[in-house]
Amino acid sequence: MLSEREAAKYPFMSRGVELVEGLNLKLEDLADPNYRKVLDRAAERVTEAIVQGVVSARLADPLTELLSYPVAVMFVTLIGEHFLSRRFALAEAVRAYELLQGEYEDKIIQIASDEFRWDLKREPESIDGVIYSLRLAYPDYLRASTGFHEPKWKLVNRKLRDGQVSLTGVEAARLIQVEVENWIKERVSTPSNFALPGPLQKHLDHIRKVFEENRSKLGGSSLPDEVVNEAFPPCMRYCLEGLLSGRRASHMERFGLTSFLVNVGMPIDDMVQLYVSVTDFDEALTRYQIEHIAGLKGARTRYTPPTCNTLRTHGICRNQDAVCKTVTHPLSYYRKKARRLQSKQEEAEPSNTTE
Amino acid sequence: MEEWGSPQFVAEQFQRWYAQNSHTIPAPVEIESREFGFLTFHGRNMYRHIKLPTQAELQRYLRQNAPAHSYYSSSYYEDPTAEMARKGWRGADLVFDLDADHFDLPCQREHDKWVCRNCGKQGTGHPPELCECGKAQFQTETWLCERCLQAAKHETQKLLDILIQDFGVHQEELTTNFSGNRGFHVHVHSDTVKTLDQHARREIVDYIMATGLEAEYQGFSQRNKGAKPALAEGGWRGRTTRALYDYLSVVTEERLKEIKVSPKAVQAIMGERPKILRLLMERHPSNVTPTIDPKSLQLIVDDAAKLQAAEIDTVVTTDIHRLIRLPNTLHGKTGWQVQTVPYGELPDYDPLSSAVTIRGPSVKVEFREAPRMRIGDVWFGPYSEENAELPLEAALFYLCKKGARLA
Ligand code: SF4
Ligand SMILES: [Zn+2]
Ligand SMILES: [Zn+2]
Repeated sequence: MLSEREAAKYPFMSRGVELVEGLNLKLEDLADPNYRKVLDRAAERVTEAIVQGVVSARLADPLTELLSYPVAVMFVTLIGEHFLSRRFALAEAVRAYELLQGEYEDKIIQIASDEFRWDLKREPESIDGVIYSLRLAYPDYLRASTGFHEPKWKLVNRKLRDGQVSLTGVEAARLIQVEVENWIKERVSTPSNFALPGPLQKHLDHIRKVFEENRSKLGGSSLPDEVVNEAFPPCMRYCLEGLLSGRRASHMERFGLTSFLVNVGMPIDDMVQLYVSVTDFDEALTRYQIEHIAGLKGARTRYTPPTCNTLRTHGICRNQDAVCKTVTHPLSYYRKKARRLQSKQEEAEPSNTTE
Repeated sequence: MEEWGSPQFVAEQFQRWYAQNSHTIPAPVEIESREFGFLTFHGRNMYRHIKLPTQAELQRYLRQNAPAHSYYSSSYYEDPTAEMARKGWRGADLVFDLDADHFDLPCQREHDKWVCRNCGKQGTGHPPELCECGKAQFQTETWLCERCLQAAKHETQKLLDILIQDFGVHQEELTTNFSGNRGFHVHVHSDTVKTLDQHARREIVDYIMATGLEAEYQGFSQRNKGAKPALAEGGWRGRTTRALYDYLSVVTEERLKEIKVSPKAVQAIMGERPKILRLLMERHPSNVTPTIDPKSLQLIVDDAAKLQAAEIDTVVTTDIHRLIRLPNTLHGKTGWQVQTVPYGELPDYDPLSSAVTIRGPSVKVEFREAPRMRIGDVWFGPYSEENAELPLEAALFYLCKKGARLA
């Protein structure tokens, strides 16, 4: 059983939610000056998420800490911005991660199995002089580690025995962070829209202002408008060169290249031309396939190219260079490289017009 | 003039076989959620998006159509008959394909051929990525031999060991099937694997093929400490050390140079081989790091790990909308049965006897080119532009491979 303090540490857990529900609070109640501290803290949670990317833990007043969480969630859904929802979920998850690192293994196991249905157990062993105290079923491990790209998280670099992956306590906490993030993300991703009593509205306006000020920092940068051939990553060059020389391309190679070209903005007619001129592909069929990948046909979703990991699995990641080490997706490679090339160009040819 | 392969005759043999044997073909698990697909002897179109909700309906379909090739989805769908985007994916078995087609084997140069459709150039073994004429339009003719089958079996056994020891798969969740041609298929069906997404399946593929394996995480780093040798450890830690041990016992100087191991490390390995092997056997893996620099060590591990990894088809396992051969049906390119091999019987399994299930009295056939082949206990061929009379089981194989036609 979790105490109030425990619930305040991990307010997203079912116990915390139950505690809050038990109070049966209404929106109007929150407008009462008695709840001022809760509203302040709720707004602070969101602004901390925006500005610092991590929410602090204020455990001295557990009830305020606990109650402010659902109010913060409400604020986020009312603002209804995708970026904000994601950033808030991550910031709350990092908060949980930091707290989890201070917990005993039993607590970690309890949270993982009660909240996320993980198959996690204690079974300490020493590997290379480090204590790995926990073992996690591999499907849970793979689900939680999806977004991790460092070699140490790759399944092949883990100790796997009888379907279980050995983990240190800190590693388990890091994986739980992902689950927490997904869990919160799901709950804040649907925008809501209803009128707030005055004091709450004031807080919301404040949050909105902070969000607008920091917006550019949160938004992802976009791809260049014109196709920059020199910025293609080595894998896509390999595919393209293969295509040009007529090498028999695997399905994955063709799909990877086509979706890449679609995403960097090559016009469809140009692509059809390219494919038809160098292969004996049928023009109508080629066009259909490209349009399908571009999301103009069929299920109407535009496909993104596979990640570096996928390309690696299928043997298409070749001739990696320095930029490759910093990216996990060929489109990020392209974005980075294009930006670099551009800034170089600006250095090389200083503008000769004066204002 | 009779067509090479005499498809009409082969189709009749399949019909006769299915009439007598379709009742022995069991339904796959949860047959009502599977998609079926079939190829006939005439035309190249796949009949797919078919639902056969019961074992009786499946058997009736096979009896009535006697397909050249029969497939079913490894996935479970809400509506198997719908188009792909609307099928409603509910999960999939974990499937592995180990096919000698994907291996690089010396015997393939003896029995496989290719012709460039553009310039007519010919060669043996796998076709090159590109022909000298700059095109990549090859017609291939692939046969098989005991060495191909043995290699496929060996890879399959390695896979089974990894699945059982590392992934904790239970024997009763595993089915191993002879593919009916040059390889084996391994299916894992359990609630655990059913809902694994594509990312998870890719990680499993990488694990089995040792893709992305780094020496440092298998204990081979100066930063690591530890007393025990890793030789007997579970997972890739033990496997890497064992692979390295086997590899370093026999590796040549040329090979090490070829994979770009540093001259210093080559010298150390050639000069102190027994000492390094003893270290691997008796001490923690980090003890070899003073002798072999990290970069060279990684190169050696990459090369050596292949000995312990299983050579699976990466696409088959990661594609969750795949059709795979239906066990216990016939394979139209050999006439053999896609047979389930009970666990533990793989080492003694002989497809060239067991899977040859259509037998009968002699038939007269005319050959173009066909290699020597054992069917059951009898050897046939090689044949070159000649007529011969062979028992049905042998004739059927050569016909299915299109190396002959009825005389
Ligand atoms: S690391 Fe990524 S971007 Fe670079 S070559 Fe490999 S797949 Fe392409
Ligand atoms: Zn040619
Ligand atoms: Zn062979």
